[in-house]
Amino acid sequence: MSNSLTLAPAPRSEAAEQVRAEVREFLAAELAAGTFTTHVDTWLSGVDPAFSKKLGERGWLGMTWPKEYGGHERSAMERYAVTEELLAAGAPVAAHWIADRQSGPNLLAYGTEKQRQEILPRIAAGECFFVIGMSEPDSGSDLASIRTRAARDEAGDWVVNGAKVWTSNAHHSHYGIVLVRTSPSDSANRHAGMSQLLIDLSLPGITINPIRILDGGHHFNEVVFEDVVVPGDMLLGEEGNGWHQVTAELAFERSGPERFLSTYPLVAEFGRRVADSGDPAALVTLGRLSARILALRQMSLRIAAALDRGELPNIPAALVKDVGTTFEADVIEEIRRVVDVLPSLDSPDPLARALAEAQLHQPGFTLRGGTNEILRGIVARGLGLR
Amino acid sequence: MASDQDLVVETVRDILGSHEPFVLTADRRWDDRLWSALADAGLTGVGLPEEAGGSGGELADAVAIVRTLASGAAAVPVAEQLLVAGPAVIAAGLTLPPVEEPLTFAIAEGVTASQDGDGWTLTGTATGVAWAGAAAHVALLANGPDGEVLALLSADGVPATDAFNLAGEPRGTLTLEGVPAAVAPLNAARTRELRADFALARAVQLGAALERVLTWTVQYAGERHQFGRPLGKFQAIQMELAEMAGEVTAVTAVTDAAVQALAHGSSGVVLAAAAAKVRAGAAVEVVARLAHQVHGAIGFTQEHKLHHLTRRLWSWRDEAGSELVWSRVLAEGLLADGPDGLWPALTRVG
Repeated sequence: MSNSLTLAPAPRSEAAEQVRAEVREFLAAELAAGTFTTHVDTWLSGVDPAFSKKLGERGWLGMTWPKEYGGHERSAMERYAVTEELLAAGAPVAAHWIADRQSGPNLLAYGTEKQRQEILPRIAAGECFFVIGMSEPDSGSDLASIRTRAARDEAGDWVVNGAKVWTSNAHHSHYGIVLVRTSPSDSANRHAGMSQLLIDLSLPGITINPIRILDGGHHFNEVVFEDVVVPGDMLLGEEGNGWHQVTAELAFERSGPERFLSTYPLVAEFGRRVADSGDPAALVTLGRLSARILALRQMSLRIAAALDRGELPNIPAALVKDVGTTFEADVIEEIRRVVDVLPSLDSPDPLARALAEAQLHQPGFTLRGGTNEILRGIVARGLGLR
Repeated sequence: MASDQDLVVETVRDILGSHEPFVLTADRRWDDRLWSALADAGLTGVGLPEEAGGSGGELADAVAIVRTLASGAAAVPVAEQLLVAGPAVIAAGLTLPPVEEPLTFAIAEGVTASQDGDGWTLTGTATGVAWAGAAAHVALLANGPDGEVLALLSADGVPATDAFNLAGEPRGTLTLEGVPAAVAPLNAARTRELRADFALARAVQLGAALERVLTWTVQYAGERHQFGRPLGKFQAIQMELAEMAGEVTAVTAVTDAAVQALAHGSSGVVLAAAAAKVRAGAAVEVVARLAHQVHGAIGFTQEHKLHHLTRRLWSWRDEAGSELVWSRVLAEGLLADGPDGLWPALTRVG
């Protein structure tokens, strides 16, 4: 197999196991105190700024960043353990998720000293939330076709016009990192002429319109920019380097355990049911699902270990996300086949609720962060086919 | 660290190079010449301690040999000898037969060991015995007077039926009527581990064969032209190859973790091996199906090499306990701490 797909096994990290135990204890206490209830897919839908702040206070945000920017200089393996525990518990992590996962690392890689000093400590404290500004009404998988544009005015500021969609939780966020055209599109080099801007979402000219998903939840938005004046020093990285930067950002977006654990709370509920019933068919299904989880954990841990080695494993991340999100969706059918439960969001039965939440969120799993077709194209490149 | 292992793999590859896989038949049921070459090179005792008659080296070296042979469709009982029967015989305190003589392993619920004076004899039938009729020695997980035992017998003079798996590998029945054997008792935990070792050996073989099938299929998609371009340039084919790569990567990751657990003597080895066997078995369906789909009609013939591995994949996934068996073991193990114990148990396994 091509080396670009294969990563070395992750070494066991005692530090990660230690912080895992701390997070587990914290979550048990929070659950007991009733500060949150478990749900499926909470990294999209579980917005709770107070909970995010608690995580920040405990040092579980910005974990891998330098201390001078409010970070904690811990390993990607430790961060992996923390995020995995939060997801498995179905905790409300959506408010800070994007900022901690990709906006912060993006700022660290490309931000000016001023941008880093001002923003990173607030992200690490769980007080500053971000939105991704990539997709547009007419640009989904074909990201290079974006039309939102930014032009310098006489004062050297950027004037932004256009619209971004699927911007998860823009209505709770403070900033967006927005991919814009800063030069006209060139058919000979489609990836040229794009830049990333760091945009304060409270600026005049920005309208945030809700887009409701299947269960009626308001997470997505359309963010419209009409002659929005963005200060000139809010360019992120280099003008014209947007495509390269967005590709690096996607490696962070695609590489984490949220790409196979979105429906884990459903598996946990199913596990409780199987433990009570002892039903033989359900037991076998639980075993099969567990084998897939264990394989995905090992794949995902390898990516965390690669990040600790300073690598940015785009192709393995695409592959794990393809396999992982396929699993997240499969969970629903596998469980349905062996339990007789009517899924309903308002059922008193937690398994019926989890099934309903998972089903109504399922179409998103294999779309968000790059469709599985796009991901398989990246894997095919890794196999030397493109 | 990797260099010793690379050297071992290189040696095995060199030997394999002059022993092409062939269609196994009742008349030629294993590759005795390949076995002799491996034994002459000292490779049939790797991972087994020298003081017990092995050639020394690490478990990882033995796994590397097994992987290389599996991906080359080698018809020799090396996985059984190096990963299951050899370690089991030594751990049970029995005397390891000379490593130049092939030793296999079988789970024989239909065989009972009885004390006969100072020694032991075996009676009953052992079905589906890997390399029956080819192996010189057999280690059996059998019934004893007080629970399960490991029994080691010479296959000399023991009749084996002609029965074969889908790849033509011998899987005959041994009929034992008072056959003398060396016998050692096993406790329940050791019995579980031994079954898991067998499953893990098959998972390792499956992982290596799956990887090679992917490599062959990617190569073929690059060489075969239709509509004026290589098959691999068609998006539909690329999607299939990417799906195969996902399956292969998953199997490698979970199998490597189980091998690590075994090497460290971790208590989680049974569940790790269970997960590896279940995941590898599930991957076979996807990888073998898509490999044949991409290869087209030529892959459906014995003229093409693909069947040497796909027929083994379809066989090995059901051997040493199918996905049904190991899914149950895995789920029961993960729920051992009660209804809320699933997640902590998953993170303990690895």
